[in-house]
This record gives sequence, structure tokens and C-alpha cells, in this order.
Amino acid sequence: MDVGKSHYLQMLMLPTKLFLCDLVVNQFAECTIYELNCAWQPLAPDSRGCSTKHGGSPSALAPPVPAQTWRPPLSAGPASPRTRDGGGGSGAEGRKRRPGGWAGRAMKLRRGALRAALALMLLPLLTPAGAVEPISLGLAIAGAAASALTGFISYPRLYCYFRECCLHRHDRRAAAALQENLDKKLFGQHLVSKVVVKAVRGFLNNTNAKKPLALSLHGWTGTGKNFVSKIVAESIYKKGLQSKYVHQFVATLHFPHAHSINLYKDQLQSWIRGNVSICPRSLFIFDEMDKMHAGLIDSIKPFLDYYELLDGVSYRQAIFIFLSNAGAEKITEVALDFWRNGRTREDIQLTDIQNALSVSVFNNKNSGFWHSTLIDRNLIDYFIPFLPLEYKHVKMCVRVEIESRGYTVDEDIVSRIADEMTYFPREERIYSDKGCKTVDAKLDYYYDF
Amino acid sequence: MKLLKAAVIFVLVPTLTPAFDPLSVSVVAGSAVMAWHLFSSDSWLRCRFQECCNKNATVNFTALKAQLDNRLFGQHLAKDVVLKAVLGFSNNPSPKKPLILSLHGWAGTGKNFLSQILAEQVHPAGLRSKFVHLFLATLHFPHQDQVKLYKEQLQNWIRGNVSACPSSVFIFDEMDKMHPGVIDAIKPFLDYYEEVDGVSYRKAIFIFLSNAGGDLINKAAFDFWSSGKRREDIQLKDLEPLLSVGVFNNKNSGLWHSSIIDRNLIDYFVPFLPLEQRHVKMCVRAEMTARGYAVDEKIVQAVADEMTYFPKEQKIYSDKGCKTVQAKLDIHEDFVMRDMKARA
Repeated sequence: MDVGKSHYLQMLMLPTKLFLCDLVVNQFAECTIYELNCAWQPLAPDSRGCSTKHGGSPSALAPPVPAQTWRPPLSAGPASPRTRDGGGGSGAEGRKRRPGGWAGRAMKLRRGALRAALALMLLPLLTPAGAVEPISLGLAIAGAAASALTGFISYPRLYCYFRECCLHRHDRRAAAALQENLDKKLFGQHLVSKVVVKAVRGFLNNTNAKKPLALSLHGWTGTGKNFVSKIVAESIYKKGLQSKYVHQFVATLHFPHAHSINLYKDQLQSWIRGNVSICPRSLFIFDEMDKMHAGLIDSIKPFLDYYELLDGVSYRQAIFIFLSNAGAEKITEVALDFWRNGRTREDIQLTDIQNALSVSVFNNKNSGFWHSTLIDRNLIDYFIPFLPLEYKHVKMCVRVEIESRGYTVDEDIVSRIADEMTYFPREERIYSDKGCKTVDAKLDYYYDF
Repeated sequence: MKLLKAAVIFVLVPTLTPAFDPLSVSVVAGSAVMAWHLFSSDSWLRCRFQECCNKNATVNFTALKAQLDNRLFGQHLAKDVVLKAVLGFSNNPSPKKPLILSLHGWAGTGKNFLSQILAEQVHPAGLRSKFVHLFLATLHFPHQDQVKLYKEQLQNWIRGNVSACPSSVFIFDEMDKMHPGVIDAIKPFLDYYEEVDGVSYRKAIFIFLSNAGGDLINKAAFDFWSSGKRREDIQLKDLEPLLSVGVFNNKNSGLWHSSIIDRNLIDYFVPFLPLEQRHVKMCVRAEMTARGYAVDEKIVQAVADEMTYFPKEQKIYSDKGCKTVQAKLDIHEDFVMRDMKARA
């Protein structure tokens, strides 16, 4: 194997490793503990990987080190003695220098580098003395330094004005913005707006969160789950769902085939790991959880747990949102009970629903959480129920839609559209079947001029 | 001859070389010395800025005891065992085998927390130290069909790191999810060998965490409670044989029929008892003080009441231990903030 080439390949891969590992790779020491700590990954026999260190093994008892797992140290630093030594902890056997081989080649590389450095130092002596004008050169250097300094000082304000940055400062306004948006735009979900705002505010303000925030939104279709996740994204990130720190996964779209689940697991883990190491305050939205394969979510369970660091990356500032329809029947049951007993919708408390939900979602084969360790380990921070929408809420949706299109609100049309929607249960006919969905389509029919 | 050589150096060299400015020479020499110190391992200068392996690591007993008393609630057994084990191990100048602890218990009772406190005492940076390694079965060894690859990688990893720093700490979490064969791969490192391939593992510490046996422990604790005895009366000898066999025979335990138990390589089985309501309240209080709020007993009670308890009738032990306490505190935080603002 060409040592020189692989050596340079390793140097090229350095930026990727820095990128992914969020650690400083110590280029000058032997490539040992830092890289080992940086990314534990099972290496395929022919893949590039981090080097390992081996105790010297003079005897024939030592298993032969497979060539592919041993990599020469990154630096052109002192070769064998230091890599074996590690500070002299491993007994008194003699340090074995590998005769010739690639260690010798490393020495040659080092000598070559030394020569190059020497040549560079002597270069200015060879150029004609008056070629560089001191004043202009000095001015140029000073100007470059000044502009670099300004850029450095003004970061992040100036740079982040133009491009999107991963910041923590905007968290302060996020909770207030979230509250405002939810109050204005979300109808009929008094539980949601209360819990989500408190959860997100508490999490964002907590500088020492012990685990990432995991919200599980359950409810009937059309009640606003995707809407709420969109609002949350917009309050925290400038660009909302389009932000490069917000990632949305749809189970039926991104993980369609049951037989490729191992592939999905690996890819999902790498994706999450890579993105959280770039920006710790990332948002992951998993839609259609009831359609997701039961084992797939288990693969990200380690990221949701109470660990400080996993392979050098801390997930404690990330936010995970799970959306699903599972448990909707249970929620509707509770809401119907309240209605039949003559109590108002706003009387429904979170505790009435929460525990019932947790059990029913866990035992429901279709829930995507079925026997998943997520619930087992209590890694979901909040189960948030979405109540089915009533007639008056549908009317509110219609009004908002009309206003957003710029027409004047005509109450007659609003009632007509709301009447066109179908309602359940059969006798009482209180809750809209589709929530607020298809409302804008019906609008088109009435406002087609 | 040596004198001649010295004379040659001190007389000839200055005359042949152009005169060097003494200031710049001393600056260059000084920086060369510093650079040499920085790049050689284990020099005092380097160890001030970077983490070095502490060769003569002895655990400070009082510090460890204080940490355990203040931060770990409701686990008198675990505290006892760990203190004795770690103290004995670290004060022994030449231990015969690495220290192996197996922590078992219900979720949220503090196993990871204890291993974190322990790691911090051995290496000050704790879990962030480059000499402390955390392995998760579901994350690092996920696929059943790649067990051979995992075995090989794990062996290389451990060998490499222990040769760099003999007092490394290895924490294996979720042992109940680990494939039975993977742990067998490191059995030789855990045994009573003086050296394996020139590397001595006798100062390393291995910690295995798992939920296996948690139900057995809960049952035993419940039996104690029903017979009216105090929780603090539970002894290790009541639980250890139960645990060892239960974990050994449990197919899900990851140590199933593993030769680690067979050969009695595990030094201590440390059981974690399920937490009662008073311990949950202690967790809440600790969390509130950590966030800088004044401890309000009403909120503590409210949060403790929100947790679910088992068994169904008696409702003594918390289902989730101390987990999700932080999240529940966020919900009640509003009242705290309002109170603080009102007082201010």
C-alpha cells in the first residue's frame, strides 16, 4: 500500500472529520485518543478510519495486526517509539521499532518536510532586496488585519444578517413570538398552546438541559399538528421550515420499504449525528409516526436520552417533534364525554388525557411507538393532544382564509362553507371530520370570480 | 577527548558563525524549549492545557463520598458498595485484575448518574475525558449480523486505549440490549492476567449498566416494604445472589450465559432500588436549586404528585424514577417565575 498517498488522503479527510466530530483533532500528537473518541464507527475492512494504538507485542502469541486497521500516525512526528510508549505505562518490554517498512518511510517524509522548511526560510535571502516596498506592504498587511478583525468582532451580527447562522441568542424572543403566533393562528386547542409554549420556553431558557426536548403531538386529522410544528420552527429559526437546521422526515416518504430498515437506521443516525454536530440547536420533525416501522425510532433513542456526550457530540440542545394520528380516538372519547356531561371544552385538562394517551399509544400496533423503547424509557417529555375541531372553529378557519386572500368577510358564505363540512358522531354531529382541511378548496368554489 | 571537543565547539563555532543577537537567540531558544515541552507527552506544561493520563490515579475518598451523598438519592446500597469497591481498588498499588462493576436497576434510578460521578473522580473531565469511553449497545453495536466486526473493533479499541492510559474507564450502557457474544470478546481483558500482549489491564475500570434484574430488585424491595422493614435495612447479601442468577438466566440480559458471570469476573453486582416519592421530591428540589430558584414546597409537591407510581394499589415507587422531572418543572415554572417577579 502506498503510504504516502494514504497519508495525504488522511490529511484531506481532516476537514470532514473536523466537520463531523466537533472536536479539535490534535494534528501534532500521535493520532490516537482524540480520533478514537471522535467517532466510534465499526469500520468496514477497506474503509478509511481512525487509527488505533497497539501495545508492543514482541512474542509470537500476539495476533497479527490486520493491515487495514493500522494506520500510520497523521503527523510526520516521531514514529514508533512514541506511538507504542504512551507514557511508559505498558511495562518494561523493549520498544520494538518496525524495521524499515512504512515507519522508515515516515522518517523519510519528515526529512523531506524539514528540507522544504529550510528552503522556504532561505528563500527571502535569494530574492532581490528592494523588490518589496516596505510601506505599501505594511499598509496592505495592516489593512488585511484590520478588516479581519472587524469581521471577527462584528460576527455574528454582520455576517448573520445576510446568511443564516446557528445562534443561541434569538431564543429569547422565540418564546414570545411562539405565544403570539399560537394565540393568533391556532383555533380550538387551548391545551396545545399552553403546553407547547411552556415546554419550548422552559427548554430554550434552560442553559443546562439534561436531554433534548421530545414532543409527541397526537390528534385527529386536520386539527393543526403540522401547523403547530411549522409555527414552532418559524419562532426559533429565521427561515422557519426552510431553514437548513430544520429537518422534516415523513415516514411514508423517507422510510417507505420495510425491508430496508437497517439502511434507514444507519442513515438516520448518521444524519442526526452530523447535523447536531454542526448546529446543536437543530429541530427534527417526524411526521406520520403511526406509519413508521416500529424498530426505526429505536435507532434514535440514544440521542433522546440523558447523555452528556455521545461520541463527542452533545444532543442536549436539539428538539424532536413527533406527529401522529395515533390516540385520536381516545382523545375524541374524552372530549365527547365532557360535551355530553355539559362541561365546556376549556375544562378539559391535560392530565385527563395524558395518561390514557400514553398507554393507548404504547399498545397500539399501528402507532409506530408500539413497544418502542421511547415510551418505555420515558424519553418523551410531553404528550400533547389535539382535540377535534367544532363548528365554530371551522368558521374561524374560513374567516382567516378569506382574510388572507384579501376578500371581505361575508358571514353568510362563512356559514355556508362551514355547513358543507361533514361532522361526527352521527347523532350529535359536533366535530368536523377533516378538521380544517379542504376549507380553502371550498372557498374557491364560492369565490371563483 | 571530551574536553577537546568542548573546546572546539566553544571556540570554533562562534568564530565561524556570524554573530547572533543574544536577545533573539534567547527568544528562539526559549520558544524552542517551550515547543519541545508542549509537544512531548506528559510534560507539566502540556498537562496544564491538555488532559493527561493520571498514572497514579487515586480516588479521593472524601470527595467521592461527598458527591454521592449530595447528588445520589435513595441508593444506600449502591453508595456503600461503590465507595468500598473504588476505594479498595484505587488504594491497592497492584490490583490483580481490573475493577468490574455491574449496575442493575429500574429506569431512572441513577445508574448512568453514578457512573458519571465515578468517572469524574478518576478523570476530572468526567464523561468528556478522552480516557473515559461510553458504549451504547443500540448505537455502537446495532446490527446482529455484524457481531464479528464489532468484536474485533472492540478488542482493538480497548487494547489501544489501555496501552495509552492504563487507568481508562469503560462504560457499557444498555447491556440488556447487547448481543451476548460481543461482551465475550473482551473477557480476556477482564481476567486475572498480568499482561495480555504486553498491555496490563489491571488498573482499568469496567462498568456495565443494564435494566436486567430490575424487576427482581423491585420485587425484593416491595417485599421488604410489605413486611414493614425499613428500606435502609436491605442488605447486599439479600439481593446479590438473586441478581446474579436472574441476570445470568435472562435471555435479554446481554450477559446471558456469558462467561463473564461463569468465571466470576464481575467484582460487584450493584443493585439500584426503585425510588419512592420522597426521593423524587429530593430530585425536584435539587433541580430547582440548580436552576437558581428558591425551593417552593408547593411546586415540589405538585411535581411529585404528577408522576406515576407502581404497584397499582400501593403506589409507592416511581415508574420513571427521577426522569421527566425537569420537563414537569418547566410546566410549573410559570408559577415560580411569577412568584419571583412578585417578590422582586
